[in-house]
Amino acid sequence: MNKSNARLGWLFASPYLIYSLIFFLFPLIWATYLAFTNWNLIAPDYEFVGIQNFIQAFFSESVRAAFFVTYKFLGMFVPIVVAGALFLAVMIHSLPKFKGLFSVAFFLPYLASGVASAIVVNGILSYNSPFNIWLRGTFGLDIDWLGSSILAPLIIALMMAWKFAGYYALLFVAGLESIPKEIYEAAEIDGAVGWKRFWKITLPMLYPSFYTVTILAVGLMFGIFTEPYVLTGGGPDLATHTWQLEIYSQAFERLNAGFGTAIAVINSVVTFGSILIFRKILEKWGAKHGWE
Amino acid sequence: MKKYSMRFIMMMIIVAIVASGCQSGSSGGEESSEGTVSFNFWSAPNPSQQAFWTEMADKYMEENDGVKIEVTPMPESPSSEAGIQSAIAAGNAPAISENISRGFAAQLAASSAIVPLNEFDGYDELIQKREMKETISTWKFSDDNQYVLPIYSNAMLFGWRIDVLNELGFDEAPKTYSEVIEIGKKLKEQDSEKFLWARADLVKPTWWARWFDFFMLYNAASEGNKFVDGSEFIADDEAGVETLGFLDNLSKNDLLLTREATDPFETGQALMMDIGPWTFPYWADKFPEMKMGETFELSMPPVPDGVDPANAKTFADTKGISIYASATKEQQQAAFDFVNWVYSDAENDMKWFEETNLPPARDDLSTNETFTSYFEENPQLIKYAENIPNAVPPIDNEKTVEVQELIGKEAVNPVIKGETDPKEAWNNMKEAINGVLK
Repeated sequence: MNKSNARLGWLFASPYLIYSLIFFLFPLIWATYLAFTNWNLIAPDYEFVGIQNFIQAFFSESVRAAFFVTYKFLGMFVPIVVAGALFLAVMIHSLPKFKGLFSVAFFLPYLASGVASAIVVNGILSYNSPFNIWLRGTFGLDIDWLGSSILAPLIIALMMAWKFAGYYALLFVAGLESIPKEIYEAAEIDGAVGWKRFWKITLPMLYPSFYTVTILAVGLMFGIFTEPYVLTGGGPDLATHTWQLEIYSQAFERLNAGFGTAIAVINSVVTFGSILIFRKILEKWGAKHGWE
Repeated sequence: MKKYSMRFIMMMIIVAIVASGCQSGSSGGEESSEGTVSFNFWSAPNPSQQAFWTEMADKYMEENDGVKIEVTPMPESPSSEAGIQSAIAAGNAPAISENISRGFAAQLAASSAIVPLNEFDGYDELIQKREMKETISTWKFSDDNQYVLPIYSNAMLFGWRIDVLNELGFDEAPKTYSEVIEIGKKLKEQDSEKFLWARADLVKPTWWARWFDFFMLYNAASEGNKFVDGSEFIADDEAGVETLGFLDNLSKNDLLLTREATDPFETGQALMMDIGPWTFPYWADKFPEMKMGETFELSMPPVPDGVDPANAKTFADTKGISIYASATKEQQQAAFDFVNWVYSDAENDMKWFEETNLPPARDDLSTNETFTSYFEENPQLIKYAENIPNAVPPIDNEKTVEVQELIGKEAVNPVIKGETDPKEAWNNMKEAINGVLK
């Protein structure tokens, strides 16, 4: 590469690099520093408290809850959203016409605001909603949907899956479109049809999309805030208390910004660690099917 | 190549540092120049309040050439408190803002982010002119200063479905615990599907929810006991246990609906509801059949048997104005003078009342002739006005969030769920709060 090309490369990359410096690197350094102080963002005076915030976080009931709740959400959300998106993608892909129209239609929930969706779900599940009145009248079932520590996380996971399935389906559709027809033709000659064709050809060939969707879905679960904030407030008994709810509560409600930042730092470490594990598992699976 | 690349990287870093350092040169507004003082006023982030303050600022500037006021709605992402907090951290706080609750003011005051209003020239004159001596007396902070000037004060009341009460054979809203339970039992006899009070928050530790259940009842039971003074828990034990006992009794008699429900009071599924004046515009739009005297009545919270209902207090849902320490002395005084001017004329409070439906925090709201015609048109607001002096504002402690969360977690929630008896719950809560206040 000559000097002029190199300069041009830096020039094109510079907006992103500057953006990253301002909005990622400096805040990251600042946040890491803040995590070791007891500053509340308002007081002119504050102290450097060492690792005290991290120790406090380790013994905090609500931080522990946030840690486990995220994996509970992961266990519910990832299989549902991946299966749902894959199903939608296969349906859309097999349509003879109007693929784009249906893709957009399923993508729309992704554009809806989390607050609006949560309010709608709240209305559907309220005690005197037609749905619950029907359940009570017909089956004698009186279910406290959002008051149950098992059902509340499941409802939030389902709601998130409904919202994101259409978006992830687009990635799967792109993956499906990229599988060469010749492979299917060859498989058909070898007798691979129906489910066999799906399991042996489609699914392994979708690995890049599958990988992307899974990693996106895993990452998403470490950052959810709006839905549990509006629907359950983190309850019942911390059953839906996420990292973001804990960070928000500490930093902006209790004005413990230093402690809140320490939790954010722990959250980012846990997030990167978890994503790394998922990546390794997926890469192993990919390697087994010829994706290196 | 290396030399050029390094130069380029250095240039980008410098640009980034300069860009990240870019922020308003001064907090509170522009620097004063040529005898003019400019400051920013942050209004609550809703159109009616913003419109009111913009109009006031325009009028004030017409009369005062040397003042420039810029009224803008405060950022509310993710909440107005967080918006203010971020602005202070970034050095972009206004000189003055409204929408400050007493609990948040305590947090700000503890960090020296706001200044005492009682130290400004003209403070006594303002209190006298606005007729708010009694109302503001409960606002004094533990260091004897006033950090917030209340703009409005909603003396929270309970609404009762008077039509259902009449059907059950009762002429008026109950005033004591035993009267409430009696009504509840009769209601259940008639229709086991109905409830006395539908409030999902009773089983949640949400800190602010305690204002509209626990504090309404506790203030009534304790005749307005302070709860926390400075960093000391000074709550009235007897009143506290009585309050929890009442909630326990309601729960045991299946009179509470603690699930999310859509408009349970309006649809007649529940007989009572904590109500603020903001409910009436909603009813006018969605439930025009809700008419005072016909479908509902308003009352102060019930009191324990043996306590005189005439002395009942309630919770004041109230917010006010604070002046920020980051503004210059000149800006602070100019901001205070503006507020003083606004409240020197009762007509401005009238305008506020009309535009926002939020009762101005004045002792004479129910007697001042300026407001008479408005009350004739809106009789449902009279009881709110009458009880402004009986309404107790939120506690003034920087640990408000923690304290109120513990009230829910240790006392209200377990009592309602039948997990702990009222006395034990009160003691657990007391111990936990003392731990936080240390």
